[in-house]
Amino acid sequence: MIRFLLPALFALLFILESLFVELLPAELFNSDRILVPHFLMAGILFLTAYLSPKHGILYGIIFGLLFDVIYTEIIGIYLFMFPFIAYLFANMMRILQTNILIVSILSILGIALLEVGVYELMLLIKITDLDFSTYVKIRLVPTLILNLAFIILAAYPFKKQFENAADRLKD
Amino acid sequence: MPQFFFNKRLIMLLVSIIVLVALIGFSLREREELTWPEQFVKDSTSWVQSVVSRPANYIAGLIENLQDLQNTYQENKELKKRVDDMARLEAKVYSLEKENEELQEILDKKESLADYEPIQAVRIARSPERWNELIIINKGASNGVEKNMAVITAKGLIGKVKSTTPFSATVQLISSIDPTNRISAILQAEKPLYGTIEGYDKKKELLLLKGLPYDAEIEKGQNVVTTGMGGIFPKDLPIGKVVKVVPDQFGLNQTAYIKPEANLYDLEHVMVVKKSMVSVDLEESLEDSEGEEEGN
Repeated sequence: MIRFLLPALFALLFILESLFVELLPAELFNSDRILVPHFLMAGILFLTAYLSPKHGILYGIIFGLLFDVIYTEIIGIYLFMFPFIAYLFANMMRILQTNILIVSILSILGIALLEVGVYELMLLIKITDLDFSTYVKIRLVPTLILNLAFIILAAYPFKKQFENAADRLKD
Repeated sequence: MPQFFFNKRLIMLLVSIIVLVALIGFSLREREELTWPEQFVKDSTSWVQSVVSRPANYIAGLIENLQDLQNTYQENKELKKRVDDMARLEAKVYSLEKENEELQEILDKKESLADYEPIQAVRIARSPERWNELIIINKGASNGVEKNMAVITAKGLIGKVKSTTPFSATVQLISSIDPTNRISAILQAEKPLYGTIEGYDKKKELLLLKGLPYDAEIEKGQNVVTTGMGGIFPKDLPIGKVVKVVPDQFGLNQTAYIKPEANLYDLEHVMVVKKSMVSVDLEESLEDSEGEEEGN
């Protein structure tokens, strides 16, 4: 039973992103800022730090594919971005120590990288025509603040959960 | 030895970029329907999503109701004023409808472009990455939903069906920027003006109605509705109201900014519109002449 805990947790994060956008208060939604939840990415980065890079990249591939099939209908974008950022993150973690503060800061950087990477790809395939400065103002900054708030709330539970999983894996 | 590892990594990266480009190309192509693994994955997750999303929406609704109670008195006053108007309007609509029916009978005209059958649906998910504005609804091919059907709320047009699976469908909202997402529309001025809805201004949150004649006089607040001539959407679905008009890049046409009538945020209950009047020749001739219109 306990083996399904991690996949279930990530499935919950996956659905939570959609729910968050659905239930966001109207004033926030209709304001000229765009808030994008990247809870799944935060989860994957914490998993990479506290369990193992192998797990992080694997979950990145699986949930990236799911995300693409269900939410974007353009297969490839998140399928590539999730594992790629998890991989870069794992390399960074090898140099730095696994401190909850450092992991949180690096996660925010990872999310920023994801946002900008996806923006560039969307610009390339002409899904959007926002210029970069407007993009930063109306989308990137509000998104990072939202995800920072999420990480502050979720960092400790994530750490505990994934460390437990690592212990179970050792036994 | 490290050199070798570096090369291996580089090759991995290059291969994955090639796969990425191939996959994006594959999914951006005009596809009649999704591949079966995609359909299977979407159907199974849509089931899970509806299990989670329905109670969550219910609870959120309860909280909202409590907040609404605070403004009830004010709203009630205003609504009472409108109800008086309603009775008058209703009588007028009734007589107009009857007259219309009689006139159509005289003309022996049984079908109109404006006829449609609605399919009621509930939203079960919304795409969290807000580049492509998509929502997923709980009715699919088995309920008669087909690709490219118009989707409306009680207030007006919100989008079209992008893809279907047996038990769910994905709706692309009119606010997503898609070069193929064009809707043939009429601006209801004194003399009706024809144009196409092309694109969305993300910053101002307004739709762009392009191709209006340069000398037409357009006022604020005029209504824009669908023409029903693209062969996909029925006639007279409200789209929005004019907010402002600007001359286009070359001064040959005018572009009107349209504020969507329907709220693109609160989309819990939507209707998929099945056009009643579909004759074979119409479809065929449309494919020949203007198959690209209305967002194929």
